[in-house]
Amino acid sequence: MTHGLAAASRRGALVDLILSLGVMGLGIAAAVVALSLPSAGGYSRIGPNVMPVAVSFGLILFGGLLLYECFTGGWRARTPDDPAERGEHGFVASAFGWVSAGLFAQMALINTAGFVLAAAVLFACVARGFGSGRWLRDSAIGLLLGLGVFLFFVRFLNVNLPAGWLRPILGGAGL
Amino acid sequence: MIETFGALLDGFGIALTPLNLLWGLVGVTLGTFVGVLPGVGPALTVAMLMPITAKLDPTGALIMFAGIYYGAMYGGSTTTILLNTPGESASIATGLEGNQMAKNGRAGPALATAAIGSFVAGSIATVMLTLLAPVVVEIALKFGPAEYFALMVFAFVTVAAVLGQSTTRGLTMLFLGLLFGLVGIDEQTGQQRFAFGVPELLDGIDVVVLAVGLFAVGEALYVAAYSSRQREEMERLSGSLMMSKEDWRRSWPAWLRATAVGFPFGTIPAGGAEIPTFLSYAMERKLSKKPEEFGHGAIEGVAGPEAANNAAATGVLVPLLTLGIPTSATAAILLAAFQNYGIQPGPLLFQTQASLVWALIASLYVGNVLLLVLNLPLIGLWVQVLKIPKPLLYGAILVFATLGAYSLHQSVVDLVTLYVFGLLGFGMRRWGFPVAPAVIGLILGPLAESQMRRALSISQGDPSVFITHPISAALFLLTAIILLAPLVARAMRRRRGG
Repeated sequence: MTHGLAAASRRGALVDLILSLGVMGLGIAAAVVALSLPSAGGYSRIGPNVMPVAVSFGLILFGGLLLYECFTGGWRARTPDDPAERGEHGFVASAFGWVSAGLFAQMALINTAGFVLAAAVLFACVARGFGSGRWLRDSAIGLLLGLGVFLFFVRFLNVNLPAGWLRPILGGAGL
Repeated sequence: MIETFGALLDGFGIALTPLNLLWGLVGVTLGTFVGVLPGVGPALTVAMLMPITAKLDPTGALIMFAGIYYGAMYGGSTTTILLNTPGESASIATGLEGNQMAKNGRAGPALATAAIGSFVAGSIATVMLTLLAPVVVEIALKFGPAEYFALMVFAFVTVAAVLGQSTTRGLTMLFLGLLFGLVGIDEQTGQQRFAFGVPELLDGIDVVVLAVGLFAVGEALYVAAYSSRQREEMERLSGSLMMSKEDWRRSWPAWLRATAVGFPFGTIPAGGAEIPTFLSYAMERKLSKKPEEFGHGAIEGVAGPEAANNAAATGVLVPLLTLGIPTSATAAILLAAFQNYGIQPGPLLFQTQASLVWALIASLYVGNVLLLVLNLPLIGLWVQVLKIPKPLLYGAILVFATLGAYSLHQSVVDLVTLYVFGLLGFGMRRWGFPVAPAVIGLILGPLAESQMRRALSISQGDPSVFITHPISAALFLLTAIILLAPLVARAMRRRRGG
C-alpha cells in the first residue's frame, strides 16, 4: 500500500516537473517570437516588442519558480493526486474521449452537415461520455435542441448559422 | 450629491420604460435559470448568454446583463443549498450550513434567508455604489496614463497573488493570460504579434472564447472524467418556505454585517466574493449565540455568506464602471460585453454616456426587486431544473458553448481554439491553477499596455514617470509589498525557527 502511494506521489512530482518545464518552454518560445518583433516605437521609444518580451520573460521566471518548488519539497499547496481525497473517482478515459469526440465531430460536420446535425451529434456524444446509454433518445433531444437554437438565432436574432444538409427542410434560413 | 440623485432619477426613468423593464426581467429569469444549473457559475452564465443580446440597443443589452449577473448569482445559491455542488468558489461558504439545513428538512428557510438576504445586501450595496461611484470618478478623472498603468499592475498582482492556493501558480496564469492578450494586431503600429498569419487570430483572442473554453469545455471534460460516475443526492424541498420569527431574528444582523464586509471587499481588487463570504462565515460563527449549531445547519451561516456574496458582487461594479478595471472573472466578461458595444467603462463614461451608466445603476435596484418577487415563488421551477440529468445537462451546455464561439466568425478555427482552451481548463482544474487571473490578464493586458505606452510617450521614453508621480509610485510600492511580504515573513520565521 505504502509502496503504491510512493509510486503515485513520484508520478505526481514528475507531472509537476513536466508542467514547470512546459511553462518555461512556452516562455522561451514566446521570447523567441517577441525578440524578432520590430522595436521602433515612435515617440515613446516603446515599440510593439516591449510588452511581448516582458510577458515572455515573466513566463520564464514563473516557470523557473515552479521548477524551483519541484526541487524544494514540491509545489506549494498542490491539488491532491488521489481522486478520493478530492471527492472524485479515478480518471475515466472513455468519458474524456467521448466528450472530445463530440467536439471533434462538430468541428468536422458543422460546415457540411450544418449546425443542427452537428449539434445533435455533439449532444449525443457528450451524453454518452457522461454515462448515458440511450443514444437514440439523446440524439433526438440533441436534434430538437439544435433545431430550436437554430431557428431562434437565425430567424429571431439574424445570426447566420449553416443549414447544411437540412437546407431543403429549413428553407432559406441560414447560410 | 443632489446631482447624483438627479442622475439616478433619470436613470430610473430609462430603466423603468416597459421595454427595458422587460429586458431586465428576461435577464433575471434567464440568469437564474442558467445559474441554477450545477457546475455553471456566474462567469459562464454571462458568457454563454452574451450572443442572445446581439440585437438589443446598448442600454437594453446592459440592463439585461445586469439582470443576468444578479440572477446567476442567486441561482448559484439555490444549487449550493439543495445539491451542495457550488458552481463557483464564492458559494462554497453558503453550502457549508445551507446544505446541512436542507438535510434537516429546512431547505425552505435556507432558500428564503438566501433570497431575502441577497435582496437586502444587494440593495444596500447598490446604494453604496450610487454614492461611491461619483467620488471615485472625481478622483479617477485626475489620473493620467502612468496612474492607470500602476493601478492595473496593482490589480493584476492582487488578483493573481491573493486568489487560489499558490501565488506562483496564480502569477503563472496571469502571464499566460497576458500572452493571450498580445495575440493579434498591435493597435499602435499595426504589427502582427503571435498571430502566425492566421486570419482568425489577427482579431485577437476573444475573452468569451477563453472563458467559455475554460469554464464550459474544461469543466465538462473534467466532470466527465472525474465525477460523472458518481451519484448525487439532491435534498428534497419539503415544508414551508417561510422563515420563523427566530429565523428572522438571527438572519437580519447577519445580512447587515455581511453587507458591511462584502461591499468593501468587492471594490478592491481581491478577486470578488470569495474572501468576504468566508470572512462572513467565520464572523457569524464567532458571534453566534448558538455556535454549537454551526456545521449542523445554522441559519446565520447561510444568511451571512449569501449576503456577503451579493454585496461583493455589487462592489465589483465600482472599479469596473468607474475605472474600467475588472477584478473578477465575471467582471472581465461583463467588460467584454461592454466592449462589444464599443463602450469602454471608466470615468469618462460617466460624462459622455451618463444616461447609460445611470440607467444601468438604476436597473440594479430594479433587478434586486425582480429577483425577490420572482424567485421564491418560482422555486419549484428551479428545483425541476436541478433534476435535469447530467448527460443531458452537459450536452446542452456544450451546444450553447460552441454556438457562442462559432458565431463570432462562422469559423471552425474558433471551435478548435475553444477545444484547446478546454484542454487547458481541464489541466488548470486538475493541477490547481486559478482561472480568474488568466481571464483578467487577457482582457486587461492590452489596456495596460496602451496606458504604459501612452505614459512613456508623454515622458518621451523616460520610465521614471512611474515613480515620480506620487499616486503611481504609491501603487507600485503597494504592489511590491503584497508580492514580497509573504516571502519576507517566511524568511523571518525560518531565521527565528533555525
